[in-house]
Amino acid sequence: MPSDGLTFSPDGKTATLQMVNVPIIDQPRWPAMDAETTPARMDFKLVFKATAEPVTYEDPARHYRFEGFKASARLEAMLRVESIDFTFKTDPLETSSSDFAVMGFETNGQYYDAAKS
Amino acid sequence: MINRRRLLQLGAFSLAGPSLTVGLLGARSASQSCSPVIPNDHSPSNGGSCPYPIPWLDKNGNHNQSPMPNVELSNIYHFKGKLARGNGFHGMGTDNKGNRLAWGTPTTDYSYMAGEYWAGRQSRQRTFAHT
Repeated sequence: MPSDGLTFSPDGKTATLQMVNVPIIDQPRWPAMDAETTPARMDFKLVFKATAEPVTYEDPARHYRFEGFKASARLEAMLRVESIDFTFKTDPLETSSSDFAVMGFETNGQYYDAAKS
Repeated sequence: MINRRRLLQLGAFSLAGPSLTVGLLGARSASQSCSPVIPNDHSPSNGGSCPYPIPWLDKNGNHNQSPMPNVELSNIYHFKGKLARGNGFHGMGTDNKGNRLAWGTPTTDYSYMAGEYWAGRQSRQRTFAHT
């Protein structure tokens, strides 16, 4: 995606991902193997806000490290399935919620190994 | 008949991650190929720009796992950069018939990754979204 779709507040604690007209599929019976699909489009705005609670997830055996903060995450979206004349608009961003969110910095694979050496 | 409410819970909110496809701003296609090109002029072939999947997830047919504490949150191996992931998004909304519907499930997850990854024997800069 173009990098300007992702923006950060000056303090780096808030990230906003905003995209329009994203091609998606409508696949109501997923994950059934024979689940039919219909082309659809989506606009969305996703906002992560870091809290003051730090987290570190690291597994040297699997060569990854995530270091960051727990976060809140909210989403608003508009979905369009033109072929069946269906649209859906979520309520405003502030009314949504999420169960788990983190934001920070990830290093894995050869970058993890390089950082350790 | 397609159950609209089920669409909102499962279907349309979970596309880009499993295939590492990225949604694009505007109307640009999301199907730009990153596969290796087969040279027809004897020039070197060092592989394509497709990111590597997470090895222990890919062997089970997955490119990511539900975000939670103490798991690999990245969708890409050989990556360093900014990452945020969240799941369990939910809320309410309205369809074009005026019906009020709940959306989201415990596995409705979104993320971004912005930084450097290694593929085709070189480092590359890119921003990814998982919707």
